[in-house]
Amino acid sequence: MKKVGLILTAVLACLVLLGGCGKKTADADKDTTTNVKSSKKVTLDFWSFWGSGARREVIESIIKDYNESQDKVKIKYSYQPWGDIWTKSLSAITAGNPPDVIVQDINSVAQRADAKQATDITKYLDKGINKRFYSQLFKTTQYQNKTYGLPFNTDTQVIFYNKKIFKNAGLTDKDLPQTWSELDAVARTLDIKKDDTFTRIGFYPLWSLDTQVWALNADGGTSWFNDKNQVKIDTKNKRKALQWILDAQKYYGKKTINRLEAEFGSGVADPFLSGTVAMRAQNINYYTSIKENAPKDFEFGVIQLPEFQKGSGHKTWGGGFTLEVPTGAKHVKESVDFIKYLTSDKVQEKFGAASFDIMANKKANTNLINGKQLDETGQMIYKTADQAMSSTVLTPIPLSAPDYNNLVNEQIDAALLGQKSAKQALKDAQTAVENLVKQHK
Amino acid sequence: MATEVQRLSHNPIVTKKGASKQRTRFIKTIGSYLLLGGISLVLLTPLLWMIFTSLKPMTEIVQFPPTFFPKTIHWENYLMAINSFPFWSYAKNTLIIAGSVVIGNVLANSFIAYGFAKLNFPGKRILFALVLSTMMIPGFVTMIPQYVIFSKIGWVGTYLPLIVPSFFGNAFNIFLMRQFYLSISNELIEAAQLDGANHLYIWSHLMIPLTKPALITIAINSFNGAWNDFLGPLLYIKDQRQYTLQIGLQVFKNQSTTQWHYLMAGAVLVLLPTILLFFFAQRYFIEGMNLTAGTKG
Amino acid sequence: MTKRSLRQKQEARWGFFFVAPFLIGFVLFMFGPMLFSLIGSFTDYNLTSKMNFIGLNNFKRMFLNDDLFWKSLYNTAYFTIFNVPLTTLFSIFLAVILNQKLVGMRFFRTIFYLPAVLSGVAVYILWMQLLSPSTGLINTILSWFHITGPSWLFDPNWTKPALIMMKLWSAGGAMLLYLATLQNVPTQLYESAEIDGAGIWQQFRHVTLPMITPIIFYDVITSTIGSFQIFQEAYVMTSNGQGGPANSLLFYNLHMWNKAFVGFDMGYAMAMSMVLFMIVLVLTLINLKLAPRWVHYAGGDQ
Repeated sequence: MKKVGLILTAVLACLVLLGGCGKKTADADKDTTTNVKSSKKVTLDFWSFWGSGARREVIESIIKDYNESQDKVKIKYSYQPWGDIWTKSLSAITAGNPPDVIVQDINSVAQRADAKQATDITKYLDKGINKRFYSQLFKTTQYQNKTYGLPFNTDTQVIFYNKKIFKNAGLTDKDLPQTWSELDAVARTLDIKKDDTFTRIGFYPLWSLDTQVWALNADGGTSWFNDKNQVKIDTKNKRKALQWILDAQKYYGKKTINRLEAEFGSGVADPFLSGTVAMRAQNINYYTSIKENAPKDFEFGVIQLPEFQKGSGHKTWGGGFTLEVPTGAKHVKESVDFIKYLTSDKVQEKFGAASFDIMANKKANTNLINGKQLDETGQMIYKTADQAMSSTVLTPIPLSAPDYNNLVNEQIDAALLGQKSAKQALKDAQTAVENLVKQHK
Repeated sequence: MATEVQRLSHNPIVTKKGASKQRTRFIKTIGSYLLLGGISLVLLTPLLWMIFTSLKPMTEIVQFPPTFFPKTIHWENYLMAINSFPFWSYAKNTLIIAGSVVIGNVLANSFIAYGFAKLNFPGKRILFALVLSTMMIPGFVTMIPQYVIFSKIGWVGTYLPLIVPSFFGNAFNIFLMRQFYLSISNELIEAAQLDGANHLYIWSHLMIPLTKPALITIAINSFNGAWNDFLGPLLYIKDQRQYTLQIGLQVFKNQSTTQWHYLMAGAVLVLLPTILLFFFAQRYFIEGMNLTAGTKG
Repeated sequence: MTKRSLRQKQEARWGFFFVAPFLIGFVLFMFGPMLFSLIGSFTDYNLTSKMNFIGLNNFKRMFLNDDLFWKSLYNTAYFTIFNVPLTTLFSIFLAVILNQKLVGMRFFRTIFYLPAVLSGVAVYILWMQLLSPSTGLINTILSWFHITGPSWLFDPNWTKPALIMMKLWSAGGAMLLYLATLQNVPTQLYESAEIDGAGIWQQFRHVTLPMITPIIFYDVITSTIGSFQIFQEAYVMTSNGQGGPANSLLFYNLHMWNKAFVGFDMGYAMAMSMVLFMIVLVLTLINLKLAPRWVHYAGGDQ
């Protein structure tokens, strides 16, 4: 009997709580609607994945500035978890109740435009607005000559090197590798081998870049697909690139590779910061990680990806994020005004200085390089990034085969496992992706 | 059952003398503890790793080769984990959702399964097949259509899509409860009916006490499920003040870095209530046992 | 005669009364989306801009052109075939050794259940570290016995066994079900069996096992369904969530996810879900057909 009473009270308590919270949300909704009506102020929902630390603080401060700078629009910021933000926004867009502005992946803009998930904002933009941005970034926001969002920040792939290891090996700035063969040579002088096991690794290309980036670098900036969306996987230079990776794998031995690959893969332990790996090819964002996690006496430098051959260009790959107005959002004009504000010189500079992200706005980056907000290392990072941007290629997702990745990776893995030659692997990948393209026609 | 036991009792093994019997029992106990301890060690290691990571600074976490024991202990990671997002109010939100889901699941599934297990009606087999079939369609494809429905009836932005469905039963738990009911003798129900009890009374006064271990199991597992659910709350909650703990934990993951020390500290804290719940709820298992044995014997 | 049919009618009315909540919930929340998925599987639905009827094209493409469909089906079947029996046996084993009257049992029960509570990304990352070929704990322990452990998540032959091992570790959820059932076994049965000199195995075989067959049956069916839908482990534990190396962890649902949310090819994903539905349905029907041979209900099955 006592127990029944206990359960009943528990049920009651929960129901009361439930009722209470349901009411509260209803009230909150009412509040905002009456507010909107009384002051004619529009509330815009803004979603991004900046949830903690410097990025969150700076975006909230930027939004506060904007809200105080005018009295027509109020921005309401919502943090959404990284990655899942897009599952949520896709559901919301499908149901017709999306937020007003979302931070989206830049390489899939055309895909979303094609599926009518993003709004064409061309008519709200001033003519020369494209000059704010690195040209390849703005180009990626175009679909059928219309603009579907503006670039916010970007990144590019570079090589980080351990300065101390270089110094101890007697290497100076002049010895920093400019081509693949120089890279190999430098890596060999940095390797340490004790009784058949490597205790230090000079450089292994797949830590932490995809084969795709090296293939793109070797092939004059052409990725698995060219500008016209033709499949360009099986080319002479890409075969050479894959062979180069296989050679590096053979040289270090599978055992050594596997040993460290697991660490890079889980993203927890970091052999580069621990000095086990002398050079690491990585997204320039890695700087944030070094800043937070490296031992205090850790010294590092950054260089562009070397050229495949002398004069072939320091081609590298980049990504980044855009600000989009999803289909179904009610206040497009106001939203675009806010997007313009977020991509303006001063705001971009402010965000970059706080987050160390490379901004889409060229002037903001230049100001950061020459200004006083950053320390020497920070300026060096932005300088390298700015240089690298001139040879950074974006790889928009091909509409004809958006999910090609697994097909290519399977073949490359087969080559890495020694089941196929580089030539055969790329040939098979080319066939598989062409087959996928055919399925979509 | 009974026949099995009878057969065993004819087993012509000579009963040993008291002393040696006590010795074998002692050895058996030691053996049991060794086995239990060994398995516990294996099962606990990942958890220990998690706790140790939560006490390390990032500079140690990124070290290669990794360390198992922390060199220096940083309790402040836990403070940071709590202060990086509104921990307590998210905990309250999660508790409201999980608590309601538990009530819904325990009541509804026990109720529905009674119909499937103990009552006869036309179309029962087809209906039960329908129950099972709802388990077989992967959630991804129904996720968005379901979202659209909840959006149309204006439930998006409230906890209702997370709570209300649990009051209409869930296939896994209906099936589970049915299995438990089928193990209960029908004579009990028939006897109660002769005494003039209707099925509602039989369910609430006979079946619920008899199936207590099963109900506790469902309660624990569905609390666990709702407490750790991530995608559901994320999709349906709009206002970030109403977020749950699992969404809160995500703030430590960025596009390029993860703050492992805070994430692990937060994960340990989120884990605690479920452990405590289990630790204390399990005593009802024992109680349930005595009760069932009593009625059966 | 009439009296009997009246009773039957009454019982049927009670029956519908009890299952009504499920029916209402089904109509409200599930019927629509399920029917929509069925219809969607014959279209080129992409969620936001198109939904044209394309007949059986999705299915044709799946069976004839999509190698990854077959690969993912193979991976999933492989995983299921090993995962279901192993986790079932292991969770029964755990439940049986926990079902003793010893001091401190509450702690052991809690410890055994713990892994089932641990979920989410943190656990998968933790396992990636445990499985690390050189510094991971598992290979370190193997090396004490002079065994060179495999590369686990980096060797396509070992990725699925690694995942099955992880699943075994978290068998606590199912263990709980068995533990709950074992509480229904009257202790007198064990006592009398012991007096008769029945060993541990005989006690298990003749007292415990018959009592837990209904739950074994439940466990086998639901974990088969669950295994066929494995997703998150592979999504989190492989680089970029792509199911590598060599697509060895590209499970059925992961492939479906890629089609739906990377390629926005929702129609195709829905077609895949229908095929999965049919496969699981057939397996469940087989299970149901075989059940009377080995499942023992004290209350009798109707």
